[in-house]
Amino acid sequence: MTDAPDLPTPARSAILSARGVGKTYRTGAEAVVALDDVDLDVAPGEFLAVMGPSGSGKTTLLNCLSGLDDIDRGSVRIDGESIHELSDARRTRHRAKTMGFIFQSFNLIPVFSAVENVELPLLLAGAAPKQARRRAEETLDRLGLGQRLRHRPPELSGGEQQRVTVARAIAGEPTIVWADEPTGNLDTETAAGVMQLLGDLHRDGLTLILVTHDQAIGATAGRRIEVRDGRIVADERQNASA
Amino acid sequence: MILVALASLPFLFLAARRPVLRRLALRNAARRPRETALVILGSLLGTAIITGSLVVGDTLDASLSQGAVTRLGPIDELITAADGAERDELAASLQALDAESDLIDGVLALDVVTAAVSSVGGDDTTARAEPSATVVETDFDAARSFGGDPAATGIEGDTPAPGQAAVGEDLAEALALGAGDQMTLYAYGDQVELRVERILPQRGVAGFAQGFGTASPTLFVAPGTLATLNAEAPVGSVPPAALVAVSNRGGPLEGSELTEAVTTAITEHLGAPVPGLAPAKADLLAAAEDVGAEFTELFGSIGFFSVLAGVLLLVNIFVMLAQERKSEMGMLRAVGLRRTGLIGSFSLEGWMYALISAFLGALAGIGVGRVVAGVAANIFGGEEQALELAFAADPASIQTGFSLGFAISLVTVVLTSLSIARVNVIRAIRDLPEPPQMRTRTRWLVAGALAMAAGGAWAASGIPADDPYATMAGPVLVLAGAVALASRLLPRRFLVSMAATGALVWATVVFGLLPAAFEGVEIPIFVVQGIILTAAAVALVTQNQEILGAGLRRLGGGRSMAVRLGLAYPLARRFRTGMILAMYSLVMFTLVFIVVLSNLFSSQIEDFTADVAGGFDLQVSSNATFPVPPDEVRRRDDTVAVAALADADAQFATPRTAGEFENWFVTGIDEVFVDQGPSGLGDLGSYPDADAAYRDVLADPGLVIVSDFFLQGGGGPPEESLDPGEKISLRDPVSGRTRDLTIAAIADSSFGNAGAFVSIDSLVDLYGPRVAPNRLLIALEEGADPETVAVELNAAYLASGADAESFRSLVETNLAGQTQFFRLMQGYLAIGLVVGIAGLGVVMVRAVRERRRQIGVLRALGYPSAAVRRAFMVESAFVAAEGIAIGTALALVTSWQIVGTDTFGDDLPFAVPWLEVALLVAVTFMVSLLATAAPAQQASRIRPAVALRLAD
Repeated sequence: MTDAPDLPTPARSAILSARGVGKTYRTGAEAVVALDDVDLDVAPGEFLAVMGPSGSGKTTLLNCLSGLDDIDRGSVRIDGESIHELSDARRTRHRAKTMGFIFQSFNLIPVFSAVENVELPLLLAGAAPKQARRRAEETLDRLGLGQRLRHRPPELSGGEQQRVTVARAIAGEPTIVWADEPTGNLDTETAAGVMQLLGDLHRDGLTLILVTHDQAIGATAGRRIEVRDGRIVADERQNASA
Repeated sequence: MILVALASLPFLFLAARRPVLRRLALRNAARRPRETALVILGSLLGTAIITGSLVVGDTLDASLSQGAVTRLGPIDELITAADGAERDELAASLQALDAESDLIDGVLALDVVTAAVSSVGGDDTTARAEPSATVVETDFDAARSFGGDPAATGIEGDTPAPGQAAVGEDLAEALALGAGDQMTLYAYGDQVELRVERILPQRGVAGFAQGFGTASPTLFVAPGTLATLNAEAPVGSVPPAALVAVSNRGGPLEGSELTEAVTTAITEHLGAPVPGLAPAKADLLAAAEDVGAEFTELFGSIGFFSVLAGVLLLVNIFVMLAQERKSEMGMLRAVGLRRTGLIGSFSLEGWMYALISAFLGALAGIGVGRVVAGVAANIFGGEEQALELAFAADPASIQTGFSLGFAISLVTVVLTSLSIARVNVIRAIRDLPEPPQMRTRTRWLVAGALAMAAGGAWAASGIPADDPYATMAGPVLVLAGAVALASRLLPRRFLVSMAATGALVWATVVFGLLPAAFEGVEIPIFVVQGIILTAAAVALVTQNQEILGAGLRRLGGGRSMAVRLGLAYPLARRFRTGMILAMYSLVMFTLVFIVVLSNLFSSQIEDFTADVAGGFDLQVSSNATFPVPPDEVRRRDDTVAVAALADADAQFATPRTAGEFENWFVTGIDEVFVDQGPSGLGDLGSYPDADAAYRDVLADPGLVIVSDFFLQGGGGPPEESLDPGEKISLRDPVSGRTRDLTIAAIADSSFGNAGAFVSIDSLVDLYGPRVAPNRLLIALEEGADPETVAVELNAAYLASGADAESFRSLVETNLAGQTQFFRLMQGYLAIGLVVGIAGLGVVMVRAVRERRRQIGVLRALGYPSAAVRRAFMVESAFVAAEGIAIGTALALVTSWQIVGTDTFGDDLPFAVPWLEVALLVAVTFMVSLLATAAPAQQASRIRPAVALRLAD
């Protein structure tokens, strides 16, 4: 593990480039600095694990870098766009076209079937309904859920639900996939299966930014950063084992 | 109230002895103040509707009952004697009874006629006239001491001297008279000028007036005035009524309690039945009570739909509360709270809501009742004789409204709590969905079998006996039971769809299939029908929502994410959607039904006019003391024919009145009436046509023609109507002479011919000189304007108290009143619409909260905030539109079916007021969207990171 490098200028090849990002939460008179002057570059095809103890600011970092949350200072460029300078509508469109998300609680839409959940981002990105449906079915089939297309989330196991979430995240072939504790709600065996799947996708060229507090899962990533008190305190590249 | 206190005891015990439950209930109630307010609003409307209907009854009862004080005062019984001599003899005899009996405290002789009076117009005043004033002669000293309380009699000063008058304040106001003014009295073809000596208050003897109403156009003249006028009366004039008034011991209201004892005492004292004895005050109070009760029933029945909508809202809200608190409930169970404790916590919270909403609802109900009674009084009184409203809210009524509202809310929340407290601890803690029920529970099978057996037995015994409730609901209960019983054998969707379709068809066509069961039905059967239809339609739609949703999605091209998401939730959340659909459907059903019904009557002016008028153009009513002479009218150039009818008060006993005589009126008809073409007959009996039936009545004094509305009161379709061939008895209320009559035919239901028709000769034979041809029906030459002729006749026969009006105008006035009444009912039912819309608003507010995380995900995936808003609007629009469509369609089909079976009158052509229905639908739809605009906006503003952070 090394100290966080000082990177004043973005790497030319970076797909994500954050500079001086700061975020402060205010509750009444109290202010909590969640992110403090964060700089980060992520190259295309990189598998980055964001590590750190609970409350360190990992999820806040993910939310701010992906544009889900606003930042108070600094800038974030994804695929050349400074996302926090975009209007909410444009930022939303940009997110639909370039990003996929995997959450700990799966966060599938319970009233939609598996295939409807997966085709959702495709339709939001402007795909034709038939094309979106075909792509969603293919993606689910690829992830071993070809027999569960019409099932709704409550009818699927936890592992199946998370695979549907992965399918939803990758079906639109996004530039970056963000995963926030994707195995947090899964048993060890199912979690290993999901990580295997994410590793395979990364090897196929997917840029993956994964938030976890699990050292074993972090070890599967090609690069690990450690967040403490809203700052990146370590940035380490390693040989991925997944 | 005792029941409320008893029902509250367990909750008070819980609150006192289980601090954890108390804390839970209180904090949960305080947690979401806006939603708590909506829960209370939803349930208080039900209480307001119940209390409102009771207060309407109280107010009308009190308004009409005040006549006991203002129009009768100490007068409890009235005895009509054949003439003055008989009256004096009776009075003397009853004075002796007064002296020896504790039951009565006054006897007073009165001479009374109904006559026309007018003020005398001067330079600065215009003459005003009252065609039907009550003119009374009595001794003022005797009147003042009558009943023992001079103040209660209203009589002041000396008996008017010849040429003087003491005028009641009602009449003085109508004619703008004051002491010292001159006025003219017209009676028996003569007139006399009078000087107004004083104005008397409308109280007791001074406000004396007979009949139903609240006005007292009363005038006192010097004894002998009427006899002088009557001395040279034309043949056929009705002489003054010679009355003896009896005061029971006690005040104006308490005295009537002795009526039965006094009647018996008088009969025993006189040694024979007294035919002309009428318990005037007891009758007035009973009639007032009947009218009040009828209105309470009418508004209570139609308001039941809104009460039911409020119950559905409560159930829905409590189920949603339970869903929201599912993991908390699981945790509480995990740490040791028993299921009964969970029920207690929910019930305690519900008890607080029920108590507060019942209290506020009872208060709101007083306001609702006041508004409704005020509008109703104007409608029924008309412009000229508007009912003087005495607003009354009997504490007992408010207590009843409070208790019923409280009981309904409490039972609803306790039953719902019993159901929702049945949670699996682990699934609840982890917020996992309940697994689908693969196999019907045995208890449902047993319940289904019991329902089938009970429904079958009810139908089997009720249908042959023409019981409308058993006929309507028995087979439906069988179908409902069959669904549960067969649920292990056949798919649920198929079973529910089949049973719901069966119930829909049955409840729609049963009126036509088994008409005998629904003859003379009362309003509650329509409530039962409405509930069955709505429940069946909602079940059918809820079970087949996917088909509807797929169709709508295809219409949207599949591309609109807002449509897709907006439809997904209502289709998936069947229970919740079904409850809102039921609320909307119930309320829209009644509203559209009333709109169609209202139009049904108001669009038939031409047909009704032709029906009521027969071959005549206008009618002239006049005072029997000096009726408009038919021959004079016949001599007019513009008249073709003039029928002279005699209307008189009468009493009838029929097989439906169990031998008791009831007040109605009788009309004597003449040959011209029949020649000219009388109003139509609905049931010809054994006659080939109406003409033959009427001619037979003219020829045979033992025959009578009655209408559908004979001896009927209140609103709605006629009840228990009679059939041709049945025997009834007609009694002269004064002489007590009775005649048995056979019903020859049934006249069309209409206000113009609601009296029982007998030949005028037969009537004169029974009543003697106390009937006169006081109603003329006039057929005009072609081209003559009935309105102009009416104005001319009113001016020419002022002295007769002529009241001429064209049939078209009569029908228009009557229909205008009906239309206003339907409007009033619509307004009353619109309270239910508030419940429905509030329900939708509550559901959407809660939907935003429980879908917060999902909205966050959607936003994270690139779902625009505007699309989130649109999705919520699509969702509420879909549910509201479905509910509105179900209610509207059911109302149209039901009204079409009911009109086809002639329930509301023969041969009414069915027509839908599309514009009005469209307006109602559009307004309801728009208001529903407005109610959900705020939660939709709130949903669109959810920031994805915040929603996800809270969730994860």
